[in-house]
Amino acid sequence: MSGDAARLALPLARLSTGASEATTLYRELRKPLLRYLVCLGLSSDEAQDVVQDAFLILHRHLASGGSQENIRGWLFRVAHNQARNRQNRYDRHFSAGSDAEMDAVSHEATPERAVLEKEKFQQLGKAIRLLTASERECLLLRASGLRYREIGEVLGIATSTVNDTVDRAIKKLAEKCNV
Amino acid sequence: MCDFSGKLIAWLDHELPAEEAADVERHLVICAECRSGVEAYKRVSGEFDAYCDAAMASNARRGALRWAAVASAAGAVAALVALFMAIPRTRVEPPESHAQQTTVATSPAIVAAEVPDSVRPTIRRVHRRQAMAPVQIQDANAPPAQNQNAYLPPDGPMIRIAIPADEMFPPGAVPEGMHFVADLTIAADGSAERLRLRPRLAGFERRTTLP
Repeated sequence: MSGDAARLALPLARLSTGASEATTLYRELRKPLLRYLVCLGLSSDEAQDVVQDAFLILHRHLASGGSQENIRGWLFRVAHNQARNRQNRYDRHFSAGSDAEMDAVSHEATPERAVLEKEKFQQLGKAIRLLTASERECLLLRASGLRYREIGEVLGIATSTVNDTVDRAIKKLAEKCNV
Repeated sequence: MCDFSGKLIAWLDHELPAEEAADVERHLVICAECRSGVEAYKRVSGEFDAYCDAAMASNARRGALRWAAVASAAGAVAALVALFMAIPRTRVEPPESHAQQTTVATSPAIVAAEVPDSVRPTIRRVHRRQAMAPVQIQDANAPPAQNQNAYLPPDGPMIRIAIPADEMFPPGAVPEGMHFVADLTIAADGSAERLRLRPRLAGFERRTTLP
């Protein structure tokens, strides 16, 4: 029986490696990951599922002594791929109509200002939906604070391509929104 | 169109090498067109960010509304269950001792070795043929484990133990509300054949229905 106990103890000990890094990352990155996934078109339930899965995979990755370099980009990549696997729902938010514009108006705004803000968001939403999927993804990851190199790793494209895509996408939005 | 216009956004994002960045900065001093371009790109970036926040917020609100409905439905189910439980039944309960259960959970690695016989009956072996919910030994403080999902017992007896993560890791090392469910298979000679640890986050469980 004591032999069994030793065999059971091993995996538990191994799991504790890197657990504290995972906790810090969880606090820091849960929100940005959720936001990214929701903006990609996942429902908030799906996004939570994906984020949970991503952190479990990270936990296993760290526990098995996986590389600790650029965990942020790694997590976004895992989450992105998981979201891709749910392709049937993917892209729904930006391609189908969104009511984000309706809720975007801050409460302190005066009525005139509120109308203006709402119009601005509707215009922006329309412009965003006209972007290509890759342009949207680049902008979303950029808004999540990722460097171009990290964005390239998440999407599996070259850093220079990210540079060009972000440049093109921002200019399209600026043009359509007349700013 | 100015030659520098293709570098302005990369410059804003601090993605240019130092030398090129310095070039852009020198250029911005003398080029009004590029200065206004930078302003516009900055504004659009900020608005894109705000748009994402708004999308996230409106999504969360919809989620909250749906959860309110689920919660009230759950309340009704709980009431029904309570009613059902109130009907007296003759049933032999396994000995309940919270203190002993906690001891078991505190040292999951030595469950097999050190559990006194008096605690044993709470670890029941479940045979597939009995087709009943797996037994869980759990700290009362730990969130309920999700046991109704798709896990089917392997061939042979199965014991399931839910272990609060606090018992395995130093305090604060694991995200709050996280615990583990261990599925282990015991061979005919009583040795542990297979151990599968599955982390769980409370209030964050996978839904049992797949899309």
